[in-house]
Amino acid sequence: MPNSNQLHEDLIQIVGEAGLLLRSENLQPDDQRSCYTIDGIGPRAVVLPASIHEIQEVLGYAADSKLSVIPAGSGTKLGIGNSPEQVDLVLSTSRLDQVLEYEPADLTVTVEAGIPLAVLQAKLAEHGQYLPLDPPYTDRCTIGGMTATNSSGPSRLRYGSTRDCVLGMRVVQSSGTVVKSGGKVVKNVAGYDLNKLYLGSFGTLGIITEVSLKLQPLPEIERSVFLTFTEIGEAVNVASEIARSQLLPTFLNLFVNGAPLTESPEPCLLIGVDGHPETVEWQIDAVKTIAKQNGAIGVEVYEGQRQQELHASMCAFPEGESAAPIVISRANLRMTDVAGFVNTVVEVNDASTWQVRAMGLMGNGIVYVAFSDFPDGDVPMQYVADTVANLRDAATNVGGNLIVESAPTALKRQIDVWGPVGRSFELMKAIKAKLDPIGLLNVGRFVGGI
Amino acid sequence: MKENDPLISELANIVGSEHVITDPTSLSVYECDGATVFKALPDVVVFPTTAQDISEIVKIANKHNVPFVARGAGTGLSGGMLPVSGGIIIALNRMNRILEIDIANQQAVVEPGVVNLGLTQAVQDDGYYYAPDPSSQQACSIGGNIAENSGGPHTLKYGVTSNHVLGLEVVLTDGEIVEFGGAVEETPGYDIRGVMIGSEGTFGIVTKAVVRLLRKPEGYQTLLGIFETIDEASNVVSSIIAKGIIPAALEMMDHFVIKAVEEAFHWGFPLDAGAVLIVELDGIKAGMQQQAEQITEIFNENNCRETRYAKDEADRQQIWKSRKSAFGSFGRLAPNYITQDGVVPRTQLPKVLRRVAEISEKYDIPIANVFHAGDGNIHPIVLFDERDSDQCERVEAVNMEILSACAEAGGTITGEHGIGVEKMDYMPLIFSPEDLAVMATVKAIFNPSGLCNPGKIFPTAESYAKLGR
Repeated sequence: MPNSNQLHEDLIQIVGEAGLLLRSENLQPDDQRSCYTIDGIGPRAVVLPASIHEIQEVLGYAADSKLSVIPAGSGTKLGIGNSPEQVDLVLSTSRLDQVLEYEPADLTVTVEAGIPLAVLQAKLAEHGQYLPLDPPYTDRCTIGGMTATNSSGPSRLRYGSTRDCVLGMRVVQSSGTVVKSGGKVVKNVAGYDLNKLYLGSFGTLGIITEVSLKLQPLPEIERSVFLTFTEIGEAVNVASEIARSQLLPTFLNLFVNGAPLTESPEPCLLIGVDGHPETVEWQIDAVKTIAKQNGAIGVEVYEGQRQQELHASMCAFPEGESAAPIVISRANLRMTDVAGFVNTVVEVNDASTWQVRAMGLMGNGIVYVAFSDFPDGDVPMQYVADTVANLRDAATNVGGNLIVESAPTALKRQIDVWGPVGRSFELMKAIKAKLDPIGLLNVGRFVGGI
Repeated sequence: MKENDPLISELANIVGSEHVITDPTSLSVYECDGATVFKALPDVVVFPTTAQDISEIVKIANKHNVPFVARGAGTGLSGGMLPVSGGIIIALNRMNRILEIDIANQQAVVEPGVVNLGLTQAVQDDGYYYAPDPSSQQACSIGGNIAENSGGPHTLKYGVTSNHVLGLEVVLTDGEIVEFGGAVEETPGYDIRGVMIGSEGTFGIVTKAVVRLLRKPEGYQTLLGIFETIDEASNVVSSIIAKGIIPAALEMMDHFVIKAVEEAFHWGFPLDAGAVLIVELDGIKAGMQQQAEQITEIFNENNCRETRYAKDEADRQQIWKSRKSAFGSFGRLAPNYITQDGVVPRTQLPKVLRRVAEISEKYDIPIANVFHAGDGNIHPIVLFDERDSDQCERVEAVNMEILSACAEAGGTITGEHGIGVEKMDYMPLIFSPEDLAVMATVKAIFNPSGLCNPGKIFPTAESYAKLGR
């Protein structure tokens, strides 16, 4: 393994000065590298190749020098996964940030992986179109990162997750070979659907360099209805009734112990509606009717700037920007199991000394739970680990699962952040072994230590 | 294969001898799917009823080193189930139970032999339906849909099979029974469920599926635009999408198809029209009329001769029956046909359709067109007589040129029918040897012996020679 100076020189040979961020002794908090720090471990170098050729060169160099490589976009989701033993190279695609093909009338676009979602959205908006995804860190995350993590936000209820929007991609394998999967058109069953393999694989199978996506026309108008209740049960009932109605909400989110923007302590339900003004008006009326029948104490309709702020604040939930410790887990459940799970969350809240907040994507059966505001900033590791285990049991007992997306490093070392995978694990191991035979990419951080 | 063959008796021990077919006459029923020009006889057909049965059948096949392939309803259009090297067909017709309907969670658990439309019928009184609607939905099975990642007219808005399947139980090629995904939207780890869907039966045999059910829309508006030329109709398609309207379905039929369909169903399609567009809006009734008016305007801007509206639900059903049964009426046009399935970017439709017409003229082979225009998924129906060897050769050239045109336009060679045996030769038009090598690597993980549905998807040395590569 090369020493730091050697590493520095070798990498500059490949990517130039502009393509390298080095580890320095005096890391400033606002240093660009800090977003590439994983569980407190700074990488030996952050490499930002400017071409596929440079990516191939970096991978070849890393393989020869026995350095591990962690693929990244802007680094917003690098913390998801097992804690790494050490971090050699973080390879960010953020300098590959161009729109490669965009014919608006086709409602598809092909981009380089490093383009930030926000930059892409601005370009699409000029043509009245958008990518209907609103994952956490919507302002910073890149398309490549979203694809590698299959991220999604509240609007997945109506428009699906990244999985549903990706048509094709180009991937550099750890061997340096460049391959494509899928295509650029909206329907394609030629050969195996290997897009699905790379989506959500957290960089363990290759470096995604190019993504083709299916777009949507921007809705004519968007509104959010903010409902407040005295009892969680009432909010859950309203959500169930809406989910089973002929309404077509964009999102249907329950908040327990703190809603976006308002920080309202009462249980809240946020319902998004978009589209033709008449359709939207009709839906708002229908929501109000259901809400009144089920004991809503507050009904407010957000539009314009405030609706946008509310949406942004909701997407950011529950990931705060502060440096204080936070534990975020995500449970995937059947819709009917959400109420019971939320009750368990409330019990946890009543028994704990820290803040417990929850956001439920009620039409998708997804519940995010955040633990924060630990007294004196001190996380009682064992107790929190046991609590997470209890929550996971609550999810798995009803056929669901629970993933810990964010936690202090000491806690991550005590728990299995991904949870059990079941009998398909042998196949997953085989896939990793065949597609990354030299074990170069994001090693040890995915399910079961893949 | 003789009845006293040890393989046969072992299979009979599992499913009972009455559920094993070995006599040549009965076997011939299983020699092809909907792509009837491709034929191959299996040695034996077995009809299991459980995943455990299939697991044991697969283990026996491995023991005797005999190929095996699953078969649903046999409505495939690419020869995906063709037993090219003989062996065992595992017919899933008896595994046709809907195991669970969970309206509250908007999902159902089905066996692979459940007929696509049968699931919708089972839940429609609750106000739900199963969205993927291939034209063969009255017969095709959900297991087959999963193998091929089937689409249909309404995939324009609702996506293909892969967007509607949450979990799978699969008998792997070594006989092990494993579940992928589940009753929830996401599970940790690689999305093996996603890779399994569309693997054309080469990764294992699906024995159970958890599928999404969708709430029936509050309202529908179905419009029919009658045009003099295909060109005008395809311009309408681009204009509708460009206006920001995504209909539930956007289908086109050319004059050949209009004629065949009208003669079969007498809905009232005008026999002298150049093209008919079917546009369906669905969703919330409020605001729908305005969208319908916008579409009518686009029709008129493109020289639409006449716009008709489905009068009521029965009328709407009749339009869709005509459209979806179009394939059944092609027997009126020629003794044989091959349905191509290329996809092009929507803006390329006019150009590619003109090219298809040129190819038809060049080789003197009639081509009819009925297709999912909104997706850019064309279905040129290549009409011929398989008894005429000269025609057959020209048909091969026609296929090659059409699929090359799709690939050159930035598209793909199949949007919903799969590669099967039919389009193996054309895979190099869209995938490099490196791309195909990754697919082969993945196949080797799931199907190391190669006994599970051999001879599909991958081009051979001959394929490259045909393409002059």
